Amino acid sequence: MSEPASASQPALRRLLLEAVVICAVAMAVGLTMNFNMVMNAFTGKTVAAPPSKTALGTVAEFPDPVELDEVHELIAAGALLVDARHVEDYREAHLQGAVSLPLGEVDQRLDAFRSEVPAERIIIIYCNGFGCPDSFDLGVILLARGFQQVRVFEGGFPEWRDAGLPLEGAAQ
Amino acid sequence: MNTLRLILFHTARLVLGGTFLYAGILKGEDPVVFAGQVANYQLLPYAWNYLVAAILPSLEVLCGLLLLLNRWVRPGTLILGLLNLVFMAALVSLIVRGIDIDCGCFRPDAEVKTSPLSALIRDLGLMVLVLMTWVLDRRKNREERT
Repeated sequence: MSEPASASQPALRRLLLEAVVICAVAMAVGLTMNFNMVMNAFTGKTVAAPPSKTALGTVAEFPDPVELDEVHELIAAGALLVDARHVEDYREAHLQGAVSLPLGEVDQRLDAFRSEVPAERIIIIYCNGFGCPDSFDLGVILLARGFQQVRVFEGGFPEWRDAGLPLEGAAQ
Repeated sequence: MNTLRLILFHTARLVLGGTFLYAGILKGEDPVVFAGQVANYQLLPYAWNYLVAAILPSLEVLCGLLLLLNRWVRPGTLILGLLNLVFMAALVSLIVRGIDIDCGCFRPDAEVKTSPLSALIRDLGLMVLVLMTWVLDRRKNREERT
């Protein structure tokens, strides 16, 4: 038989109290160790891709992240969508109105890109979503080469597609 | 409690604690990358992925340590069981939505991808360990009291 209710209730209370203490300690430790990251995320300063992945070493300028809502507003304000994925992916399907500038071909194609796109135009770079660092890395390069308003749409192609927004390309 | 049950209890406790300690340390090494993996699940608003990435590793490490040290085993097991349920629900949601990403269970930059289904099966195994630890611990405590 199970224990009488009078005996199990304090035990249950103690169990829950201990569980709450564990959670509180873990939250305190986790938030203390990662205070800057969490603060930056909630004030919109962090991007998912770590800066250490860029090839440009000590460049201090990083592109700001934008979310889908803001992407719409920026496009309405004349922003240019830039697809950082491979050309084949771009040909298959890309965000409506996007131009292709794959990270892997940036050296060959950047001059042509610069001659077509004014440095002060807002540029929104995307690739394959949060796990993909290419848009961030391309953003760092474009900032270093003189483009002034470079943003990264971290949700990228998957978020746009899943939101049912218009795509262009061979697969469409 | 007979010897076999005692061995089963300590084995389940040590394996469970060790697994979560290991997973927590790996995730905690690079919280920004881990946040990106949480974001891949497409379940939380942008900044909340970072909040989870900040707290989850230390919770896993703490509960894992408590289980390994045989201290506060019941609350530690309770939390790990609840976490495991949340993980499984998140994995099921991936499968239902047809999103094929690395589960982000252990090493954030894993070269070998763990699909949602295999991660779910692994979590089922962990759930068995959680239940074993929980039930055998209760039996042990009851016998110690009488």
